[in-house]
Amino acid sequence: MYGSLRASEFVGVLAILVAGFALPFMLPEYFLYTGNMLMTYAVLAIGLDLLIGWSGQFAFAHIAFFGIGIYGTAILESRLGVPYLLSALASALIAGGAGLLIGFPAARLKTVYLALATYAFAECAQWVFRTWDPVTGGSDGLRFNPPVIFGYETGTDGAAFPVVAIILALVVTATLYLAKSKLGRHMCAIRDSEHVASASGIDVRGIKVATFAISAVFASIAGSAYTLFQSFINADVLGASQLVTVLTMVVIGGSSSIAGVLLGVVVVGFLPEILRAMPHSLLVWQEFIYGAILVAAIVFMPQGLWGLFRQRIAARPRRHDRSARESPAVRPVPETSP
Amino acid sequence: MSAFFAIENLGMRFGGLTAVNDFSMEVQEGSIHALIGPNGAGKSTVFNCISRFCDPQKGSIRFGGRDLLELRAHQIVAAGIGRTFQNLELLRRMTVLENVLIGQTIHVPRYLPFAPSPRRARAEAAALRDSEAILEETNLSAYRDTLAGELDFGHQKLLDLARALAGKPRLLLLDEPAAGLRNREISFVDQLLLKLAKSRGLTIMLVEHVMPLVMSVADRITVLSFGQKIAEGSPAEIRRHPKVIEAYLGSEAHA
Repeated sequence: MYGSLRASEFVGVLAILVAGFALPFMLPEYFLYTGNMLMTYAVLAIGLDLLIGWSGQFAFAHIAFFGIGIYGTAILESRLGVPYLLSALASALIAGGAGLLIGFPAARLKTVYLALATYAFAECAQWVFRTWDPVTGGSDGLRFNPPVIFGYETGTDGAAFPVVAIILALVVTATLYLAKSKLGRHMCAIRDSEHVASASGIDVRGIKVATFAISAVFASIAGSAYTLFQSFINADVLGASQLVTVLTMVVIGGSSSIAGVLLGVVVVGFLPEILRAMPHSLLVWQEFIYGAILVAAIVFMPQGLWGLFRQRIAARPRRHDRSARESPAVRPVPETSP
Repeated sequence: MSAFFAIENLGMRFGGLTAVNDFSMEVQEGSIHALIGPNGAGKSTVFNCISRFCDPQKGSIRFGGRDLLELRAHQIVAAGIGRTFQNLELLRRMTVLENVLIGQTIHVPRYLPFAPSPRRARAEAAALRDSEAILEETNLSAYRDTLAGELDFGHQKLLDLARALAGKPRLLLLDEPAAGLRNREISFVDQLLLKLAKSRGLTIMLVEHVMPLVMSVADRITVLSFGQKIAEGSPAEIRRHPKVIEAYLGSEAHA
């Protein structure tokens, strides 16, 4: 409930770090690129899940903050010579500020209106990235140098891999702590019932705004990770299809669960590889297949793959469940209707 | 001496519909005060004004020396007022214990997510102990780790009450605690309310349609019809009141 990490969570974070340092010696460069992309997606998806899965806010501005992270880090680091970590921090602050800014009006909106308003914000942001020539390079895109962190050069996928893994491990750890904190529980309470949350003393609007800001910071961190193994950014990759990819990861894996989201990232992330390997490469159908999977997942497994897996475990009879069911003394209202 | 809790000239309109019109009432400390009336009389609107889900256009609601209309919804529980919900609003994807812990929100200090402190650890341990005591009191202990959405209807009602109690209110607003329950369950709720009112020194405001429950637990009854107060008095007085028989019991008999 309250407090520190469980053993399994600690092992999970440790596994990410170990993989981060070991895999570059074991895998060819191409797989490391895919790995870097997946870890970046994981940070993005965890941040999006804070809004969608935890606080139940269907807000779709996430990719805009990802863009702020990429452009912010790239411009500060590559053009102005600010050290990488400072660039990443500054970008996170800018994204967090922008998150607060749209959080205030967005916290008053619900359902479709919230989705539309945040989606419109993301479209505006993409337009700014594409047209603000002197800063973002406009539609030509922006080329940037590989960051150097305390003398460590991250130019190749192999060199970037451990750093991206450290970023992912930090984000996962922070999210695990958040899940156990009062703030995390308040997010879930808002998702389940704003009335109950409010009547229990939770400032619903305040928590929503805070969630927007934290989620934006996570997206910006993902953007900073992206600059470690890429050398070029163009506004075209910051569009709606990117949002659909991340959203699919969250929904397929299982929202409001870190393990579920990570599972979704791996499953959806490898999908293009599988499609490519099919006879007559099905890769051109990628968007279509994502859409179909998304719809199927929502209809057939609303709790995602992880939810399905957990249900299987829960279906096995456990001892303390049975004892609760069998002791009649603790049932005060024996005649309840279903 | 000013009243423990007083509503004065409350007026609430939704567009062209007047839900509550120039309504005043007082609640005595330590009493169980029922608010009854036909469907659509404005009872729930009065509750929603008190818990600040509604912004009334007129009037004041005085409690503990301040006007509640100056507060926002999430500040009401800290002012000493807790409530339950008519339509079973629960944190369905959270466990029974978590629901009650959420009810304790105002009794755990503000968060710094990554800064554990002994003071906070003590407060959280105390919140956990209190929550478990409340589960014990409402006979929900066996369902501690069950998801609220998986409880049966009767237990969900109890959990709603347990969550409201966790805020340690001085005044508790109960919106139809017996609705949908069977007779045996109603008598359980009946006993529980009387026990709680006594042991915790609670003052209770009760909206209820189940007349036997109202008549047996209420010290005083206020009757609303079409947003206006038409009668007030002890259960015995209300039972005989001609206007009440006409507006409430009469209409119910025809329904």
